[in-house]
Amino acid sequence: MNSTTRHRLRLAAVALLAGWATAASAATPVPPACDDATFLRRASLDLVGRQPSPAEIEAFLADPNPGKREAAIERLLADPAWATTWARYFRDVILYRRSDERAIAMARPLEAFLAGHLARDAAWDAIARDMITAKGVPSQSGETAIIMAQMGETSDIAAEVSRVFTGVQIQCAQCHDHFTDRWKRRQFHEFAAFFPRIAITRGDGDGLDRFEVVSYDREPRKARIKNPDNPRRGDLEHEMPDLDDPSLPGTVMKPRFFLGSAALPLGTPDKERRKTAARLVTSNDNPWFARAIVNRIWAELVGDGFYDGIDDLGPDREPRSPEQLDELCRRFVSADHDLRALVRVVMATPAYQSVARSRADAGRPLGEASCPQRLRADQLFTQVLTALGVDEAAVGGRGERRAGGMRGELFSPRGGFNQVFGYDPGLPRDEIVGSIPQALLLMNSQPLAQAIDGERRFTLLGRLLAELPDDRELADELHLRTLARHATPAEIGVCLDHVRDTGDRSEAFEDIFWALVNSAEFIHRK
Amino acid sequence: MHLSMPNRRDFLRCLPLAGSAASVIPFAYAAAAHAADLRKRGKACILLWMQGGPSQFETFSPLVGHKNGGGTKAIATGVPGMRFAEHWPAVAKVADRMAVIRSMTSKEGSHPRATYLLHTGYLPNPSVRHPTLGSIVASELAAGEGGETADLPPVVRIGTRRRPDSGAGLLGMRWDPYELREATSSPANTSPQVPAERHLRRLDLMERLGSGFAGSLPQEAADHASLYRRATRMILSPAMKAFDLEAEPAEIRREYGEGEFAAGCLLARRLVESGVSFVEVVMDGWDTHQDNFKKVPELAAQVDRPFAALVRDLERRGMLDDTLVIWMGEFGRTPQVNPRGGRDHFPRSFNAALAGGGVAGGAVVGKTDKAGVEVTDRPVTVPDLFATFCASLGIDGAKENMSSSGRPIKLVDGGTAVQELFS
Repeated sequence: MNSTTRHRLRLAAVALLAGWATAASAATPVPPACDDATFLRRASLDLVGRQPSPAEIEAFLADPNPGKREAAIERLLADPAWATTWARYFRDVILYRRSDERAIAMARPLEAFLAGHLARDAAWDAIARDMITAKGVPSQSGETAIIMAQMGETSDIAAEVSRVFTGVQIQCAQCHDHFTDRWKRRQFHEFAAFFPRIAITRGDGDGLDRFEVVSYDREPRKARIKNPDNPRRGDLEHEMPDLDDPSLPGTVMKPRFFLGSAALPLGTPDKERRKTAARLVTSNDNPWFARAIVNRIWAELVGDGFYDGIDDLGPDREPRSPEQLDELCRRFVSADHDLRALVRVVMATPAYQSVARSRADAGRPLGEASCPQRLRADQLFTQVLTALGVDEAAVGGRGERRAGGMRGELFSPRGGFNQVFGYDPGLPRDEIVGSIPQALLLMNSQPLAQAIDGERRFTLLGRLLAELPDDRELADELHLRTLARHATPAEIGVCLDHVRDTGDRSEAFEDIFWALVNSAEFIHRK
Repeated sequence: MHLSMPNRRDFLRCLPLAGSAASVIPFAYAAAAHAADLRKRGKACILLWMQGGPSQFETFSPLVGHKNGGGTKAIATGVPGMRFAEHWPAVAKVADRMAVIRSMTSKEGSHPRATYLLHTGYLPNPSVRHPTLGSIVASELAAGEGGETADLPPVVRIGTRRRPDSGAGLLGMRWDPYELREATSSPANTSPQVPAERHLRRLDLMERLGSGFAGSLPQEAADHASLYRRATRMILSPAMKAFDLEAEPAEIRREYGEGEFAAGCLLARRLVESGVSFVEVVMDGWDTHQDNFKKVPELAAQVDRPFAALVRDLERRGMLDDTLVIWMGEFGRTPQVNPRGGRDHFPRSFNAALAGGGVAGGAVVGKTDKAGVEVTDRPVTVPDLFATFCASLGIDGAKENMSSSGRPIKLVDGGTAVQELFS
């Protein structure tokens, strides 16, 4: 029995012990497991947002312990970077749907809010409750991000709360009954009726500090806000507009959750409405709360979710492997909605630990084998800096940004990089392709050119050229630092040929370093 | 979807500069120039975007003889009966190549939402990423030419400070606007950091080192190779000279005038000439809640001359018939002047101007009442306006794309083209 087979069997056993393998999946063969180096890079990027260091790789490869993968997952989950990495991910989930560009300034407070939760108990229900009931000054209260991203628009807040926390795209029913699902127009507006009393006040001051998210429960709000083009904005109750004549008063809606029957009476204060909405959304009676996050985490970690859309679920959609989905949801709920527990189970599955199959591979078992992903902008940025041996603080890190500043957010090195490489995690992954500015930044930017300059003693390459006189060793070291694996003999051969043909050692290794940082393998998590 | 991975030689052959001999360059450059020349005969569109909402009364719909006119005088144009506000003497001289719509109407009075609306034809919706006009135009024009685009990115946006829309949205990143903060500095990361020959050697090395990855994930590798090929084609292309405004004859630069917006207009023409399908040039500052009557003349002074020069320049080069020039902002401004001498947001009636692209010169569409409040004749909605753009550019606005949630999204949300503009 060779080691790969042994590993596969062990994974199958782990899965079985975890109550994972069901009758359905027992019939499907366990996908072949990826090698250790691939696993470590995958897990490191997923949990702490960077590639493993050469020392971590060597130690992991040399470790004879059969439980080393699980041990690595535990070690990475305990790393403080776990909270930052996933806070940045959920920041993108929320802010890519902003209707107002200025809401980009919510990035930092939102990250701080999310990282705080993730570093503590990582309870997804607490995150949801805080965000649904959020109030306060946005720069101090990252939980107001959904409200700020939609600039207080009642219907848009309802749509986003539903999308992010239940995976149900109820807003498709905003103007008409849903085309394919059961949702009626009335149900969307009943849900929106939980949120009409959220108001954003604007005071003096700069940036986000001048705003405040408040409850507005007293008349005469309507009279205060004069906007002839939006006559109903500012009402204390939500109205479903008359489609035939939008200038007529609409139908006043009572707050009611589309996945239950309880309704609140008209006149209920904002605090009570939102507390109720948060309770209904996060309740264990609402299966979509767990399903949405389980589907999301599975899709991010394995590559495909149980549903085709990462946030387009609902009772009219058929999941793949419903038993597995239910089992994961059961465990997630019994672990008090702990995201760490969820991630731990997913990463222990044979699907997560399998050899990557291309998204373009038509025969690929969807959601049952790992699928390569383009790195998210934050992962790639950290990976580039790590590979080049550059400290983020040294390139003008986050400390330089003004509080609440939109410009600061956009023009910090990381923010600028995110502008070029960022993508909305809600999009189907086959839509995410590289852009010209991305290629130009990696292949042709001056800071990168300087950072791979072998003639300078203070660059990583300059140092390595001096420290490692053996070309093989240096070529291998560069592979370890960029791709987090040893070079194959064929790759060493290509590198040695290049050194010989170039005739200038420093120039040749600059080219090799450049080629590795620009490679398809570098920008993918495979 | 093709799975073939071009071999190393194919990869290099696709680049404008094959092999390492410098003598190859002129031949490859000639080939690329030929492609640009082909594109030149196709259609294109230039959007002059007036961020903030320009006052209709101080631009192309002056209101003389009513207090809401704010005392702004009107001047005659070359077209009888077509009068512009006094701040537009240069544009007035090309009025016979222009059409003005004085009956634009919408309901959206907030900057971000209205900006999105006037860029995509749709209101923002968290579940659909509507493509911006530039991406629609570029992808549709390319589809008419077998998917081919020139060496430069097909959509360019100049002078933008913040993203007004979701970019290419559901059309995919290939059609995303290529953004330049200003026309006068060269675009980011396009000056070669190493000689072209070494750059090509590096690409070759990248491909050889990537063969293991390509063996296991061929599609990902092929997409990556194709992207690097396009980016390399761009930075090594002779068409990159389009970004160098210094190369333009002095008298033409003088004609466009001074300032960032003028530079943007000149760059727009040079880019369209080099095969770019859509260029947006942004002029910010039209949100004149205060001192409208002091600010608008200053703004107009920056836009008037380059706008007129652009129309004349395109005409001289025989490009005007195929190039639609659009002047618009996200809404108009209140007829009533506020106590701070400003005008506030007013989507109920506003204006837009068009030139070229088969639009009949000297046409005036629609009217408001004497007070400039209500549209009384020929209301034109935003979808109508977008349908008009499509009609000008030969694009089928009823074509549907699928959103990521599987919902069909038409290029244009209904609407009927303003046929009077094409008589």
